[in-house]
Amino acid sequence: MEELREMLFRLCRAPGTPGEEVSAAKTAAAELSGIAETRIDRMGNLTTQFGNLDAAEHVLLDAHLDQIGLIVTGIAKNGFLNVGRCGGIDARVLPGMAVTICGKETLCGVVCCMPPPLQEDGEKKVPPADEMAVDAGLSRTEAERLVRPGDRILFRTEPKRLLGTRVSAAGLDDRAGVAAFLRCAQILSGETLRCRVTLQFSAGEEIGGFGATTGAFSAEPAQAIAVDVSFASQPGVPEKNRGRLGGGPMIGIAPVLSRKITEALIRLAEERKMLFTREVMGGLTGTNSDTIATVGRGVPTGLISIPLRNMHTPAEVVDLNDIENTAQLIAAYLREVS
Amino acid sequence: MGRFELLQELCAAHGVSGREDAVREILLREIRPLADSVEITPLGNLIAFKKGGKRPKTRLMLDAHMDEVGLIITGVTEEGFLSFSTVGGIDRRVLPGKTVWIEGKLPGVIGVKPIHLLKEEEKLQSVPPEDLYLDIGACSREEAEEQVRLGDAAVFDSVFDLSHGMVKSRALDDRSGCALLVELMKDGLKYDTTFVFSVQEEVGSGGAGTAAFEVKPQAAIAVGCTAAADIAGVKRGREVCRLGDGPAVSFLDRQTVYDREYYHLTFEAAKSAGVKCQPKRAVAGGNGAGAIQLSRSGVRVAAVSLPCRYLHSPVGIIAQKDYKAAKKLLAVLAERIAETDTV
Repeated sequence: MEELREMLFRLCRAPGTPGEEVSAAKTAAAELSGIAETRIDRMGNLTTQFGNLDAAEHVLLDAHLDQIGLIVTGIAKNGFLNVGRCGGIDARVLPGMAVTICGKETLCGVVCCMPPPLQEDGEKKVPPADEMAVDAGLSRTEAERLVRPGDRILFRTEPKRLLGTRVSAAGLDDRAGVAAFLRCAQILSGETLRCRVTLQFSAGEEIGGFGATTGAFSAEPAQAIAVDVSFASQPGVPEKNRGRLGGGPMIGIAPVLSRKITEALIRLAEERKMLFTREVMGGLTGTNSDTIATVGRGVPTGLISIPLRNMHTPAEVVDLNDIENTAQLIAAYLREVS
Repeated sequence: MGRFELLQELCAAHGVSGREDAVREILLREIRPLADSVEITPLGNLIAFKKGGKRPKTRLMLDAHMDEVGLIITGVTEEGFLSFSTVGGIDRRVLPGKTVWIEGKLPGVIGVKPIHLLKEEEKLQSVPPEDLYLDIGACSREEAEEQVRLGDAAVFDSVFDLSHGMVKSRALDDRSGCALLVELMKDGLKYDTTFVFSVQEEVGSGGAGTAAFEVKPQAAIAVGCTAAADIAGVKRGREVCRLGDGPAVSFLDRQTVYDREYYHLTFEAAKSAGVKCQPKRAVAGGNGAGAIQLSRSGVRVAAVSLPCRYLHSPVGIIAQKDYKAAKKLLAVLAERIAETDTV
């Protein structure tokens, strides 16, 4: 579990906002060295293949590489950086947050927070993220030299080890999914499979999934499994139809998902007496599985989600056991495919 | 030791009001070789007396506070989450999503309901602190209670960054004041001076008041940080004070009417020290001067503060040149006050 944690922390430390996933891709690629050859395609996806490369049955595995962040939209007169959302960032966690600005040099900044006496409604409201500014402590001249519109900004937090097997880090959505597949590749390395597997860490999920769409088209798989994160119970989020931290993989059940794959995953989890929950959704799933399922002539797709608290904040929390069990479940599935 | 190494060490130490021990240890180590006498009062104030070359006409005390704002654990839920209160004035908007350290060793995060599950009107509402919980990864009340006791203190996880002429850190209020006082002691002042590192400023200045009772000064300077609002979205004229324009000098705040003569003397001292300083252009906030002023038969007080953006939040920003200017200014001001008779 310690190795898994350290790998996950390495993945979370690498910046990778939508459209700028290179650093995260290289970090994931380094984890695969010695297991499989990797390539980064023109859309920024990291892909690799393993299993029986001559097999007719071809499974695509997808987790998204990108994470939410902010993007510099301009530099104000006083040197403050105007920002926009890059993915669905939660404005409520931004005031007073330490951030890293990926400019010409890596800068340390703070999201501006107006003192309550100067703010209409005092402490009650937060402005929309697009109206916030980031303070890097720079003059306008310095800011213009070091930062350009389009530069990305990320939460500046170090991954933290919580009690037991729980950890907190920014970007666990979806580096937890990436870690699950990397762990799955480790488990299967040296084993003979009867299917060909394309592993894809896709770009741009947080802004619509351009990586998964194009990646799945290129791969032309016969079926696919996506791993993302989903809501675990926490204060304000009752357990009803939610996952539970440490409660095992959440197997997605939805009209857009392949019933056959879903049932196989449930059967395998039950056979192994593995903890798992069912996550039932009435239509789309809000993950890359929606896009992958409708690529080309259509791809039967399954979805497994890792339970996560505080999604889209710097304080995301997962349980490593859920990642390990997700990896074991997918490995068991791939051993059966022929 | 480099210029900001001590400040970095002081900022890294955790010292929520009432729990200043770690900060006091560092300061004791630093000032023991410098002071002629050192005393710790019943509430934990650290008082250092340092002889100058001359006896002062006015007995002067310099005060900086060791404590910082933070959180205090108030309860444990059945599921193992921790409820908390703030210690000192923390804007509730800076709490969600932040990581904290409990008792200096145990990390926890302040969770919030994911944005995806919010109603539209909730998305731009800040979360009331009573709806926030700390998550330390415990699976149950029992597991949490093995690690945490009610009343345990927590501070924000933060950064320490010295790039581009700024200092970005947690607890600059008032570790920067503490570091300034140590630097002044190192250089030595012309007159006998008492340096006070006080406790509990963020919860009512009981520390500074009791320290002043012990020291019996005739005059005092509170050395601290004050909120600078020279930030995005604030109109010119409403910034209170600006980073880089030198230390801010108070005439009136929520607790203190500052000595008028000392107020003007501070600007004269800045001029003769060759540094900038600026008036604090708002009647807001307060510091240890409020309690010191009311000690015994009354004490004449001044406040010299470093402009600090995002005071009491996980990351404040001060300008290095303001810090350097404050040191020069304080040396001259202390001398001017001490060399002049007072009633």
